[in-house]
Amino acid sequence: MAAGPGRVFPFRDARWAPDPVLEPGAAVRTPQPVPLVIDNGSFQTRAGWAAPGAAEPLLRFRSLAARSRGARGAAGAETQVGNDLGSPEPLRWLLRSPFDRDVPVQLELQELLFDHVFQRLGVSSQGCVDHPIILTEAVCNPLYSRQMISELLFECYQVPKVSYGVDSLYSFYHNKRQNWPCSGLIISSGYQCTHVLPVLEGRLDAKNCKRINLGGCQAAVYLQRLLQLKYPGHFAAITLSRMEEILHEHSYIGEDYIEELQKWRSPEYYENNVHKMQLPFSNKLLGSTLTSEEKQERRQQQLRRLQELNARRREEKLQLDQERLDRLLYVQTPELDPLGSEQSLEDVDSINEFEPLFAEEQPEVEKPVAAVQPVFNLAEYHQLFLGTERIRAPEIVFQPSLIGEEQAGIAETMQYVLDRYSKEQQNVLVQNVFLTGGNAMYPGLKARIQKELLEMRPFQSSFQVHLASSPILDAWYGARDWALEYMNREEGWITRKDYEEKGGEYLKEHCASNVYVPIRLPKQAPRTTEALASSKVLAASVSNSSDQV
Amino acid sequence: MDSTEQTKLVKLRGAGGGIGGAGTCEVFPPPPPHRGRGWRRARPGRHQSIGGEAMNENKFLSTDPGTGPMEAAKPLPFKDPNFMHSGIGGAAAGKKNRTWKNLKQILASERALPWQLNDPSYFNIDAPPSFKPAKKYSDISGLPANYTDPQSKLRFSTIEEFAYIRMLPSDVVTGYLALRKATRTQCG
Repeated sequence: MAAGPGRVFPFRDARWAPDPVLEPGAAVRTPQPVPLVIDNGSFQTRAGWAAPGAAEPLLRFRSLAARSRGARGAAGAETQVGNDLGSPEPLRWLLRSPFDRDVPVQLELQELLFDHVFQRLGVSSQGCVDHPIILTEAVCNPLYSRQMISELLFECYQVPKVSYGVDSLYSFYHNKRQNWPCSGLIISSGYQCTHVLPVLEGRLDAKNCKRINLGGCQAAVYLQRLLQLKYPGHFAAITLSRMEEILHEHSYIGEDYIEELQKWRSPEYYENNVHKMQLPFSNKLLGSTLTSEEKQERRQQQLRRLQELNARRREEKLQLDQERLDRLLYVQTPELDPLGSEQSLEDVDSINEFEPLFAEEQPEVEKPVAAVQPVFNLAEYHQLFLGTERIRAPEIVFQPSLIGEEQAGIAETMQYVLDRYSKEQQNVLVQNVFLTGGNAMYPGLKARIQKELLEMRPFQSSFQVHLASSPILDAWYGARDWALEYMNREEGWITRKDYEEKGGEYLKEHCASNVYVPIRLPKQAPRTTEALASSKVLAASVSNSSDQV
Repeated sequence: MDSTEQTKLVKLRGAGGGIGGAGTCEVFPPPPPHRGRGWRRARPGRHQSIGGEAMNENKFLSTDPGTGPMEAAKPLPFKDPNFMHSGIGGAAAGKKNRTWKNLKQILASERALPWQLNDPSYFNIDAPPSFKPAKKYSDISGLPANYTDPQSKLRFSTIEEFAYIRMLPSDVVTGYLALRKATRTQCG
């Protein structure tokens, strides 16, 4: 943290550069089509070829698609995907995401994202995407969603084979070191949810996984609401993308939350560590139009600062005055003395003299303000002061009660998961606690998890916490490694034949995949106008499918 | 298999406007130059459920031609232009409702499937509610709060915060309460 006074930071408000259409070399088609790795995240999609030399995914874009409402007459709805949007707050465009929490449900939008990926990567095969695809899916993905995605991939894009895996598991395997055990407790915190995943003997123990429905998105919304309530005048300028910028660059997780908060109580610590985010402003309003709302804004802001910085000074002054008042009152008590009246007159005078002091106190309190800032400091008016907000927003995954959620936080969930195992297994799991995911990149997270483990584990037992080398990209790297290793093997791949025989919800297990539960999903009933008794048609199609197979 | 499908297709298509579709399985008609999201034609595919969708696509075709969206300059070569999601609307939706199922609906229908006791599923792995009592923090500053304002129910930790709370407009007060889901209840 800065040792000097709190610094002023501008918002970068970076715009995204549109993705170019890449020209893949001939190597992606010969000698055989190279697999395409798509890490389909609810925040960001990362895609690239699974080539041995691939340093990083070629495409990284926000998983958003925007449709303009087509109000311009004949030109109907246009769509823009990902980095073509420029920023996550496009004007006049309706921004949508195919995801609901971490599961894709709007398959039309998912199709748009896939189109974008294939087109920008330069897929040139006609009538089909000729490359095997590796796609990430949610932990214990609903069968319906997998069915829809399989249908999209196999029927629309005619993909030869597909492999589904869990992003946190890919990240786990990418970070495996020589002497690391194949078991561990993965804590994967993403945009929409945070998972606690126990891995035993190299395989996900899915029935003991737990998911907390809080992630970076909820932290950003919380921070946005906090700042909007604190600075009601800047409601529109406090956008989600700026909140994400604050979370990425100015937030941290305290090792001991209460202790950190106590540090923020002291005004000096506040002054040294407050981050002042400068909102863009123009000088047009300088001096002239101080409307009544702005005056109120200014007064509220100044009051706030006074409360935070001048509290002690006022208290001291009040104390001095109180002593003086006591003295005068004591003197004022009437003595049955003829000379007392003169004295009391004097005292009355002195008391009268004292009264205006009290009356002056109020304006005096405000006068120093006016004296200190003779010119209305426009820049300061447009600054957002981030004090405790820096640690409050990321804290929600540890204490969901901050935003009124009933679920347990990470620490309690970890304990819950560990308690479902025997003592030996617990020991094995905590030797390799692995942190991954975009929302796990706050400075101080590792120390916090270590402290929580210290509290919950038996006295003098050991544990190890590791952070992924690159929490955002490691899932893609892990999937690429898997693809390179298993490219020519049969295990883990769902071929087109598998899809047709066993349905879209079929999953071939592998070291980084979900657990397959062999429940057959009824094929989606088509809509008919004749009998809207969809159950009838459902029964018919199910019986048909059983006939066919 | 195909002939029954084809007859179904022909029956259901009615006054279909499309080129092809009732033909053979393997021929895909050329995509129209102005293909867009609504331009799905019947795909004479292998899956019988598509037969019903041909019906839907007819509806799309009849309503869409006038408002053809002008999208990509050329259709994307690597995809099947006649593909139609079978999931639009879902079984329960009527013919007007073309929205996808959201996660809640998907999970509701998943619960009805024959899961075994120990099978992992998306709704099974929700984290349990917390057993520890929630710590109280000030709504304004986030510091640990020992006091609550009886009038507005906001929590505060210092006197200055209290003064600040008492000066807040009511929408900000309800905003802070809504932030921790403490909106007013009708408890007596």
